[in-house]
Amino acid sequence: MNININRLTKIYNNKTVLSIPKLQIEKGALLGLIGPNGAGKSTLAKILGGLEEASSGNILYDEELISTSLLKKITVVAQKPYLLRGTVYYNIAYPLKIRKVEEAEIVIKVDEMLKEMELLEIKNQKAWTLSGGEVQKVALARALIFNPSLLILDEPTANIDPSTILVMEKMIKKINKDKGTTIIIVTHNLQQASRLCDKIAFIYRGEVIELSKREQLLKNPQNILTRDFIKGELLK
Amino acid sequence: MDYIIEGFIEAFNLLISFDIELYRIIILSLVVSFTATIISTIIAVPIGILMGIKEFPLKRVAIRVIYTMMSLPPVIVGLLVFLFISRRGPLGILGIVYTPAAMIVAQTILITPIIIGLVYNATKEKGTDIQALGKTLGASKSQRLVLLVKELRMNIFTGIIAGYGRGISEVGAVMLVGGNIKGHTRVMTTTIAMLQSMGEYSIAIALGIVLLTISFILNSILYYYQQGDLSEY
Repeated sequence: MNININRLTKIYNNKTVLSIPKLQIEKGALLGLIGPNGAGKSTLAKILGGLEEASSGNILYDEELISTSLLKKITVVAQKPYLLRGTVYYNIAYPLKIRKVEEAEIVIKVDEMLKEMELLEIKNQKAWTLSGGEVQKVALARALIFNPSLLILDEPTANIDPSTILVMEKMIKKINKDKGTTIIIVTHNLQQASRLCDKIAFIYRGEVIELSKREQLLKNPQNILTRDFIKGELLK
Repeated sequence: MDYIIEGFIEAFNLLISFDIELYRIIILSLVVSFTATIISTIIAVPIGILMGIKEFPLKRVAIRVIYTMMSLPPVIVGLLVFLFISRRGPLGILGIVYTPAAMIVAQTILITPIIIGLVYNATKEKGTDIQALGKTLGASKSQRLVLLVKELRMNIFTGIIAGYGRGISEVGAVMLVGGNIKGHTRVMTTTIAMLQSMGEYSIAIALGIVLLTISFILNSILYYYQQGDLSEY
Protein backbone atom coordinates (compact mmCIF):
# COMPACT_ATOMS: atom_id res chain seq x y z
CA MET A 1 0.00 0.00 0.00
CA ASN A 2 1.38 3.41 -1.05
CA ILE A 3 0.82 6.19 1.45
CA ASN A 4 0.90 9.91 0.71
CA ILE A 5 0.60 12.34 3.59
CA ASN A 6 -0.30 15.89 2.60
CA ARG A 7 -0.24 18.92 4.92
CA LEU A 8 -1.22 16.84 7.90
CA THR A 9 -1.69 18.53 11.26
CA LYS A 10 -3.01 17.47 14.62
CA ILE A 11 -3.92 20.03 17.23
CA TYR A 12 -4.66 19.21 20.88
CA ASN A 13 -5.82 22.02 23.18
CA ASN A 14 -4.62 24.71 20.76
CA LYS A 15 -1.19 23.08 20.58
CA THR A 16 0.09 21.62 17.32
CA VAL A 17 1.43 18.18 18.16
CA LEU A 18 1.89 17.03 14.58
CA SER A 19 2.72 18.94 11.42
CA ILE A 20 3.82 17.03 8.34
CA PRO A 21 3.71 18.97 5.06
CA LYS A 22 4.52 15.96 2.88
CA LEU A 23 5.57 12.38 3.44
CA GLN A 24 5.51 9.46 1.08
CA ILE A 25 5.75 5.83 2.13
CA GLU A 26 6.14 3.36 -0.73
CA LYS A 27 4.33 0.06 -0.99
CA GLY A 28 6.25 -2.71 0.76
CA ALA A 29 8.34 -0.30 2.83
CA LEU A 30 9.42 -1.14 6.35
CA LEU A 31 9.63 2.29 7.90
CA GLY A 32 10.76 3.04 11.42
CA LEU A 33 9.52 6.08 13.31
CA ILE A 34 12.00 7.15 15.97
CA GLY A 35 12.08 10.12 18.28
CA PRO A 36 11.86 11.14 21.92
CA ASN A 37 8.76 10.70 24.07
CA GLY A 38 5.96 13.06 23.12
CA ALA A 39 7.42 13.70 19.67
CA GLY A 40 4.18 12.71 17.93
CA LYS A 41 5.15 9.21 16.71
CA SER A 42 2.19 7.44 18.30
CA THR A 43 -0.20 10.20 17.23
CA LEU A 44 0.98 9.75 13.63
CA ALA A 45 0.60 5.97 13.98
CA LYS A 46 -2.97 6.38 15.27
CA ILE A 47 -3.93 8.77 12.48
CA LEU A 48 -2.41 6.44 9.88
CA GLY A 49 -4.32 3.54 11.43
CA GLY A 50 -7.62 5.40 11.32
CA LEU A 51 -7.90 5.53 15.10
CA GLU A 52 -7.68 9.32 15.26
CA GLU A 53 -8.67 12.06 12.88
CA ALA A 54 -6.25 14.70 11.67
CA SER A 55 -7.06 18.33 12.38
CA SER A 56 -6.26 19.23 8.78
CA GLY A 57 -4.65 17.74 5.69
CA ASN A 58 -5.16 14.26 4.33
CA ILE A 59 -3.64 10.85 3.83
CA LEU A 60 -4.04 8.92 0.61
CA TYR A 61 -3.76 5.16 0.79
CA ASP A 62 -3.22 3.94 -2.79
CA GLU A 63 -4.79 7.23 -3.91
CA GLU A 64 -7.85 6.70 -1.66
CA LEU A 65 -8.93 8.55 1.44
CA ILE A 66 -9.65 6.50 4.57
CA SER A 67 -12.94 4.60 4.38
CA THR A 68 -14.68 1.66 6.02
CA SER A 69 -13.56 -0.72 3.29
CA LEU A 70 -10.00 0.59 3.48
CA LEU A 71 -9.93 0.10 7.26
CA LYS A 72 -10.33 -3.63 6.67
CA LYS A 73 -6.84 -3.64 5.08
CA ILE A 74 -5.12 -1.62 7.80
CA THR A 75 -4.25 -2.74 11.31
CA VAL A 76 -2.52 -1.36 14.37
CA VAL A 77 -0.81 -3.32 17.14
CA ALA A 78 -0.73 -1.18 20.27
CA GLN A 79 1.99 -1.09 22.90
CA LYS A 80 -0.44 -2.57 25.41
CA PRO A 81 -2.79 -4.64 23.28
CA TYR A 82 -6.29 -5.56 24.43
CA LEU A 83 -6.93 -9.28 24.21
CA LEU A 84 -10.50 -10.51 23.92
CA ARG A 85 -12.13 -12.69 26.56
CA GLY A 86 -11.41 -16.23 25.47
CA THR A 87 -8.50 -18.33 24.36
CA VAL A 88 -5.43 -17.53 22.28
CA TYR A 89 -7.10 -19.39 19.40
CA TYR A 90 -10.28 -17.29 19.71
CA ASN A 91 -8.28 -14.06 19.63
CA ILE A 92 -6.37 -14.98 16.50
CA ALA A 93 -9.45 -16.40 14.77
CA TYR A 94 -11.61 -13.33 15.46
CA PRO A 95 -10.56 -11.20 12.43
CA LEU A 96 -11.31 -14.16 10.13
CA LYS A 97 -14.67 -14.83 11.80
CA ILE A 98 -15.86 -11.26 11.22
CA ARG A 99 -14.75 -11.62 7.59
CA LYS A 100 -17.04 -14.67 7.35
CA VAL A 101 -14.18 -17.04 6.46
CA GLU A 102 -15.26 -20.69 6.58
CA GLU A 103 -14.59 -22.47 9.85
CA ALA A 104 -12.39 -25.18 8.27
CA GLU A 105 -10.19 -22.53 6.65
CA ILE A 106 -9.99 -20.61 9.92
CA VAL A 107 -8.71 -23.70 11.74
CA ILE A 108 -5.97 -24.26 9.14
CA LYS A 109 -4.89 -20.60 8.98
CA VAL A 110 -4.86 -20.09 12.75
CA ASP A 111 -2.89 -23.30 13.32
CA GLU A 112 -0.30 -22.19 10.74
CA MET A 113 -0.01 -18.81 12.42
CA LEU A 114 0.25 -20.36 15.88
CA LYS A 115 3.08 -22.55 14.63
CA GLU A 116 4.97 -19.69 13.00
CA MET A 117 4.65 -17.50 16.06
CA GLU A 118 5.61 -20.36 18.40
CA LEU A 119 2.24 -20.14 20.14
CA LEU A 120 0.98 -23.66 19.47
CA GLU A 121 1.56 -24.80 23.06
CA ILE A 122 -0.68 -22.07 24.45
CA LYS A 123 -3.37 -22.36 21.78
CA ASN A 124 -6.12 -23.11 24.29
CA GLN A 125 -4.78 -20.98 27.11
CA LYS A 126 -7.01 -18.15 28.37
CA ALA A 127 -5.89 -14.67 27.37
CA TRP A 128 -5.73 -13.38 30.95
CA THR A 129 -3.16 -16.03 31.92
CA LEU A 130 -0.56 -14.94 29.33
CA SER A 131 2.75 -13.21 30.03
CA GLY A 132 3.55 -9.80 28.53
CA GLY A 133 5.59 -11.32 25.72
CA GLU A 134 2.88 -13.85 24.88
CA VAL A 135 0.26 -11.09 24.79
CA GLN A 136 2.35 -9.16 22.25
CA LYS A 137 2.88 -12.26 20.14
CA VAL A 138 -0.86 -13.05 20.15
CA ALA A 139 -1.65 -9.44 19.22
CA LEU A 140 0.81 -9.58 16.32
CA ALA A 141 -0.53 -12.95 15.16
CA ARG A 142 -4.10 -11.60 15.33
CA ALA A 143 -3.06 -8.59 13.21
CA LEU A 144 -1.27 -10.69 10.61
CA ILE A 145 -3.88 -13.44 10.22
CA PHE A 146 -5.95 -11.42 7.71
CA ASN A 147 -2.98 -10.26 5.59
CA PRO A 148 -3.31 -6.50 6.02
CA SER A 149 -1.87 -4.19 3.36
CA LEU A 150 -0.65 -1.80 6.03
CA LEU A 151 0.62 -2.92 9.43
CA ILE A 152 1.35 -0.30 12.07
CA LEU A 153 3.24 -1.38 15.17
CA ASP A 154 3.43 0.99 18.13
CA GLU A 155 6.33 -0.08 20.35
CA PRO A 156 5.47 -3.74 19.82
CA THR A 157 8.40 -5.15 21.75
CA ALA A 158 8.69 -2.74 24.67
CA ASN A 159 9.44 -4.55 27.95
CA ILE A 160 9.50 -8.08 26.54
CA ASP A 161 12.19 -10.72 26.61
CA PRO A 162 14.84 -11.05 23.85
CA SER A 163 13.70 -14.48 22.62
CA THR A 164 10.15 -13.18 22.06
CA ILE A 165 11.53 -10.08 20.34
CA LEU A 166 13.49 -12.37 18.01
CA VAL A 167 10.39 -14.35 17.02
CA MET A 168 8.37 -11.18 16.46
CA GLU A 169 11.05 -9.46 14.41
CA LYS A 170 11.50 -12.58 12.28
CA MET A 171 7.76 -12.60 11.58
CA ILE A 172 7.64 -8.87 10.81
CA LYS A 173 10.47 -9.25 8.28
CA LYS A 174 8.88 -12.36 6.77
CA ILE A 175 5.47 -10.77 6.25
CA ASN A 176 7.11 -7.69 4.72
CA LYS A 177 9.22 -9.77 2.32
CA ASP A 178 6.72 -12.49 1.41
CA LYS A 179 3.49 -10.51 1.23
CA GLY A 180 4.83 -7.05 0.42
CA THR A 181 3.00 -5.62 3.42
CA THR A 182 3.81 -1.99 4.14
CA ILE A 183 4.96 -1.81 7.74
CA ILE A 184 5.41 1.22 9.96
CA ILE A 185 7.03 0.60 13.30
CA VAL A 186 7.21 3.11 16.14
CA THR A 187 10.21 2.31 18.30
CA HIS A 188 12.53 3.79 20.87
CA ASN A 189 14.98 1.04 20.25
CA LEU A 190 17.54 2.20 17.68
CA GLN A 191 19.05 -1.28 17.47
CA GLN A 192 15.65 -2.67 16.62
CA ALA A 193 15.18 0.01 13.97
CA SER A 194 18.58 -0.90 12.62
CA ARG A 195 17.72 -4.63 12.52
CA LEU A 196 14.29 -4.22 10.92
CA CYS A 197 13.79 -1.08 8.91
CA ASP A 198 14.72 -0.10 5.36
CA LYS A 199 14.10 3.55 6.06
CA ILE A 200 13.87 5.53 9.28
CA ALA A 201 12.11 8.82 10.00
CA PHE A 202 13.24 10.92 12.95
CA ILE A 203 10.32 12.82 14.44
CA TYR A 204 10.81 15.70 16.83
CA ARG A 205 8.16 18.05 18.23
CA GLY A 206 5.59 16.82 15.73
CA GLU A 207 7.74 17.28 12.64
CA VAL A 208 9.62 14.83 10.45
CA ILE A 209 13.14 16.17 10.86
CA GLU A 210 14.88 13.60 8.71
CA LEU A 211 13.86 10.63 6.62
CA SER A 212 16.45 8.50 4.95
CA LYS A 213 17.81 5.03 4.49
CA ARG A 214 18.60 3.14 7.68
CA GLU A 215 22.41 3.21 7.33
CA GLN A 216 22.51 6.86 6.47
CA LEU A 217 20.22 8.01 9.27
CA LEU A 218 21.89 5.93 11.94
CA LYS A 219 25.52 6.32 10.84
CA ASN A 220 25.57 9.63 9.07
CA PRO A 221 22.57 11.77 10.01
CA GLN A 222 22.33 15.08 8.19
CA ASN A 223 20.41 17.00 10.79
CA ILE A 224 21.97 18.04 14.07
CA LEU A 225 18.81 17.11 16.04
CA THR A 226 18.90 13.59 14.60
CA ARG A 227 22.56 13.35 15.41
CA ASP A 228 21.98 14.48 18.98
CA PHE A 229 19.08 12.06 19.43
CA ILE A 230 21.11 9.14 18.14
CA LYS A 231 23.93 10.09 20.46
CA GLY A 232 21.36 10.20 23.24
CA GLU A 233 22.01 13.86 23.81
CA LEU A 234 18.69 15.28 22.70
CA LEU A 235 16.69 16.90 25.44
CA LYS A 236 12.93 16.91 25.16
CA MET B 1 -37.07 -15.38 72.52
CA ASP B 2 -39.89 -17.94 72.34
CA TYR B 3 -41.99 -15.84 69.98
CA ILE B 4 -39.09 -15.65 67.55
CA ILE B 5 -38.61 -19.44 67.57
CA GLU B 6 -42.37 -19.99 67.27
CA GLY B 7 -42.42 -17.47 64.41
CA PHE B 8 -39.72 -19.41 62.56
CA ILE B 9 -41.49 -22.77 63.09
CA GLU B 10 -44.78 -21.35 61.84
CA ALA B 11 -43.01 -19.68 58.93
CA PHE B 12 -41.51 -23.01 57.80
CA ASN B 13 -44.93 -24.67 58.15
CA LEU B 14 -46.47 -21.99 55.93
CA LEU B 15 -43.76 -22.42 53.32
CA ILE B 16 -43.94 -26.23 53.35
CA SER B 17 -47.75 -26.28 53.25
CA PHE B 18 -47.72 -24.00 50.18
CA ASP B 19 -50.01 -21.44 51.81
CA ILE B 20 -51.91 -19.83 48.91
CA GLU B 21 -51.84 -16.28 50.25
CA LEU B 22 -48.13 -16.48 51.01
CA TYR B 23 -47.26 -17.82 47.57
CA ARG B 24 -49.51 -15.26 45.85
CA ILE B 25 -47.47 -12.53 47.54
CA ILE B 26 -44.18 -14.17 46.59
CA ILE B 27 -45.19 -14.65 42.95
CA LEU B 28 -46.49 -11.07 42.58
CA SER B 29 -43.23 -9.75 44.06
CA LEU B 30 -41.17 -11.79 41.61
CA VAL B 31 -43.33 -10.85 38.61
CA VAL B 32 -43.32 -7.11 39.40
CA SER B 33 -39.55 -6.93 39.97
CA PHE B 34 -38.75 -9.23 37.03
CA THR B 35 -40.89 -7.15 34.65
CA ALA B 36 -39.40 -3.89 35.92
CA THR B 37 -35.88 -5.31 35.51
CA ILE B 38 -36.56 -6.42 31.92
CA ILE B 39 -37.94 -2.98 30.99
CA SER B 40 -35.04 -1.26 32.76
CA THR B 41 -32.49 -3.47 30.99
CA ILE B 42 -33.94 -2.64 27.57
CA ILE B 43 -33.76 1.09 28.38
CA ALA B 44 -30.56 1.20 30.43
CA VAL B 45 -28.03 -1.01 28.62
CA PRO B 46 -28.01 0.98 25.34
CA ILE B 47 -27.98 4.28 27.25
CA GLY B 48 -25.10 3.12 29.49
CA ILE B 49 -23.07 1.97 26.49
CA LEU B 50 -23.73 5.13 24.47
CA MET B 51 -22.82 7.32 27.44
CA GLY B 52 -19.58 5.36 27.79
CA ILE B 53 -18.43 5.62 24.19
CA LYS B 54 -19.97 8.83 22.85
CA GLU B 55 -19.29 12.46 23.62
CA PHE B 56 -22.25 14.81 23.70
CA PRO B 57 -23.11 18.22 25.18
CA LEU B 58 -23.84 18.20 28.93
CA LYS B 59 -22.46 14.68 29.27
CA ARG B 60 -20.89 15.44 32.65
CA VAL B 61 -24.18 16.80 33.95
CA ALA B 62 -26.00 13.73 32.64
CA ILE B 63 -23.51 11.44 34.44
CA ARG B 64 -23.99 13.30 37.71
CA VAL B 65 -27.76 13.07 37.34
CA ILE B 66 -27.49 9.31 36.77
CA TYR B 67 -25.20 8.87 39.79
CA THR B 68 -27.65 10.84 41.92
CA MET B 69 -30.56 8.77 40.65
CA MET B 70 -28.71 5.56 41.54
CA SER B 71 -29.41 6.35 45.17
CA LEU B 72 -32.90 7.77 44.77
CA PRO B 73 -34.97 7.25 47.94
CA PRO B 74 -37.79 4.84 47.00
CA VAL B 75 -40.42 6.86 48.87
CA ILE B 76 -39.59 9.92 46.76
CA VAL B 77 -39.98 7.86 43.59
CA GLY B 78 -43.19 6.38 44.97
CA LEU B 79 -44.54 9.83 45.79
CA LEU B 80 -43.66 11.29 42.37
CA VAL B 81 -45.12 8.33 40.50
CA PHE B 82 -48.22 8.50 42.67
CA LEU B 83 -48.67 12.24 41.97
CA PHE B 84 -48.43 11.58 38.24
CA ILE B 85 -50.74 8.55 38.09
CA SER B 86 -53.26 9.46 40.77
CA ARG B 87 -56.73 10.36 39.46
CA ARG B 88 -55.97 14.09 39.62
CA GLY B 89 -52.46 13.67 38.15
CA PRO B 90 -51.41 14.28 34.53
CA LEU B 91 -51.37 10.53 33.84
CA GLY B 92 -54.44 9.77 35.93
CA ILE B 93 -56.32 8.85 32.76
CA LEU B 94 -54.29 5.63 32.61
CA GLY B 95 -56.05 4.42 35.72
CA ILE B 96 -53.09 2.41 36.98
CA VAL B 97 -52.84 3.74 40.52
CA TYR B 98 -52.94 0.92 43.11
CA THR B 99 -52.22 -1.72 40.45
CA PRO B 100 -49.16 -3.91 39.80
CA ALA B 101 -48.55 -1.77 36.68
CA ALA B 102 -47.93 1.27 38.90
CA MET B 103 -45.52 -0.79 41.01
CA ILE B 104 -43.66 -1.83 37.86
CA VAL B 105 -43.38 1.82 36.77
CA ALA B 106 -41.99 2.86 40.17
CA GLN B 107 -39.47 0.00 40.28
CA THR B 108 -38.40 0.67 36.67
CA ILE B 109 -37.59 4.27 37.65
CA LEU B 110 -35.54 2.98 40.60
CA ILE B 111 -33.70 0.23 38.70
CA THR B 112 -32.91 1.99 35.40
CA PRO B 113 -30.29 4.45 36.77
CA ILE B 114 -28.51 1.63 38.62
CA ILE B 115 -28.07 -0.40 35.43
CA ILE B 116 -27.14 2.72 33.39
CA GLY B 117 -24.52 3.72 35.98
CA LEU B 118 -22.89 0.29 36.19
CA VAL B 119 -22.90 -0.25 32.41
CA TYR B 120 -21.59 3.29 31.84
CA ASN B 121 -18.69 2.74 34.27
CA ALA B 122 -17.66 -0.51 32.59
CA THR B 123 -17.96 0.99 29.11
CA LYS B 124 -15.94 4.06 30.13
CA GLU B 125 -13.19 1.81 31.47
CA LYS B 126 -12.86 -0.63 28.57
CA GLY B 127 -15.10 0.65 25.78
CA THR B 128 -12.52 2.80 23.97
CA ASP B 129 -9.96 -0.03 23.87
CA ILE B 130 -12.53 -2.54 22.65
CA GLN B 131 -13.87 -0.18 19.99
CA ALA B 132 -10.34 0.68 18.82
CA LEU B 133 -9.42 -2.99 18.67
CA GLY B 134 -12.53 -3.80 16.63
CA LYS B 135 -11.67 -1.00 14.23
CA THR B 136 -8.07 -2.13 13.78
CA LEU B 137 -9.19 -5.69 13.09
CA GLY B 138 -11.64 -4.55 10.42
CA ALA B 139 -14.92 -4.97 12.32
CA SER B 140 -17.91 -3.02 10.98
CA LYS B 141 -19.86 -0.67 13.26
CA SER B 142 -22.43 -3.34 14.11
CA GLN B 143 -19.69 -5.95 14.67
CA ARG B 144 -17.91 -3.52 17.01
CA LEU B 145 -21.12 -3.03 18.97
CA VAL B 146 -21.61 -6.80 19.28
CA LEU B 147 -17.97 -7.14 20.34
CA LEU B 148 -18.44 -4.43 22.98
CA VAL B 149 -21.53 -6.10 24.45
CA LYS B 150 -19.79 -9.50 24.44
CA GLU B 151 -16.72 -8.13 26.18
CA LEU B 152 -18.82 -6.25 28.75
CA ARG B 153 -21.39 -9.00 29.28
CA MET B 154 -20.29 -9.73 32.84
CA ASN B 155 -20.58 -6.06 33.81
CA ILE B 156 -23.99 -5.83 32.16
CA PHE B 157 -25.13 -8.95 33.98
CA THR B 158 -23.89 -7.54 37.29
CA GLY B 159 -25.88 -4.37 36.66
CA ILE B 160 -29.04 -6.34 35.93
CA ILE B 161 -28.68 -8.45 39.07
CA ALA B 162 -28.01 -5.35 41.19
CA GLY B 163 -31.08 -3.70 39.68
CA TYR B 164 -33.27 -6.73 40.38
CA GLY B 165 -31.99 -6.83 43.94
CA ARG B 166 -32.88 -3.18 44.39
CA GLY B 167 -36.39 -3.75 42.98
CA ILE B 168 -37.36 -6.79 44.98
CA SER B 169 -36.06 -5.43 48.27
CA GLU B 170 -37.57 -1.92 48.21
CA VAL B 171 -40.72 -1.13 50.15
CA GLY B 172 -41.46 2.61 50.02
CA ALA B 173 -42.27 3.06 46.34
CA VAL B 174 -44.48 -0.02 45.92
CA MET B 175 -46.30 0.79 49.16
CA LEU B 176 -47.20 4.30 47.93
CA VAL B 177 -48.23 3.44 44.37
CA GLY B 178 -49.57 -0.07 44.99
CA GLY B 179 -51.35 0.56 48.27
CA ASN B 180 -50.55 -2.92 49.67
CA ILE B 181 -54.02 -4.21 48.73
CA LYS B 182 -54.57 -7.83 49.79
CA GLY B 183 -54.66 -10.21 46.86
CA HIS B 184 -53.98 -7.41 44.41
CA THR B 185 -50.84 -5.36 45.09
CA ARG B 186 -49.45 -6.94 48.24
CA VAL B 187 -45.79 -7.91 47.82
CA MET B 188 -43.22 -9.37 50.19
CA THR B 189 -41.70 -6.15 51.49
CA THR B 190 -45.00 -4.32 52.04
CA THR B 191 -46.42 -7.40 53.77
CA ILE B 192 -43.44 -7.67 56.12
CA ALA B 193 -43.77 -3.98 57.04
CA MET B 194 -47.51 -4.34 57.64
CA LEU B 195 -47.27 -7.55 59.69
CA GLN B 196 -44.47 -6.19 61.84
CA SER B 197 -46.67 -3.24 62.82
CA MET B 198 -49.48 -5.71 63.64
CA GLY B 199 -47.20 -7.92 65.72
CA GLU B 200 -47.80 -10.99 63.49
CA TYR B 201 -44.39 -12.37 62.83
CA SER B 202 -44.81 -15.83 61.30
CA ILE B 203 -45.69 -14.75 57.73
CA ALA B 204 -43.26 -11.85 58.04
CA ILE B 205 -40.46 -14.28 58.94
CA ALA B 206 -41.48 -16.65 56.14
CA LEU B 207 -41.33 -13.81 53.62
CA GLY B 208 -38.04 -12.64 55.12
CA ILE B 209 -36.62 -16.14 54.57
CA VAL B 210 -37.84 -16.09 50.96
CA LEU B 211 -36.32 -12.63 50.36
CA LEU B 212 -33.00 -13.74 51.80
CA THR B 213 -33.11 -16.94 49.75
CA ILE B 214 -33.76 -14.95 46.56
CA SER B 215 -30.86 -12.65 47.41
CA PHE B 216 -28.63 -15.68 48.05
CA ILE B 217 -29.67 -17.33 44.77
CA LEU B 218 -29.06 -14.12 42.78
CA ASN B 219 -25.64 -13.64 44.28
CA SER B 220 -24.81 -17.31 43.74
CA ILE B 221 -25.76 -17.01 40.06
CA LEU B 222 -23.60 -13.91 39.78
CA TYR B 223 -20.69 -15.62 41.52
CA TYR B 224 -21.08 -18.70 39.31
CA TYR B 225 -20.97 -16.61 36.13
CA GLN B 226 -18.08 -14.51 37.40
CA GLN B 227 -16.08 -17.68 38.04
CA GLY B 228 -17.11 -19.10 34.68
CA ASP B 229 -16.20 -15.83 33.03
CA LEU B 230 -12.77 -15.84 34.61
CA SER B 231 -12.10 -19.39 33.51
CA GLU B 232 -13.32 -18.50 30.04
CA TYR B 233 -11.27 -15.32 29.82
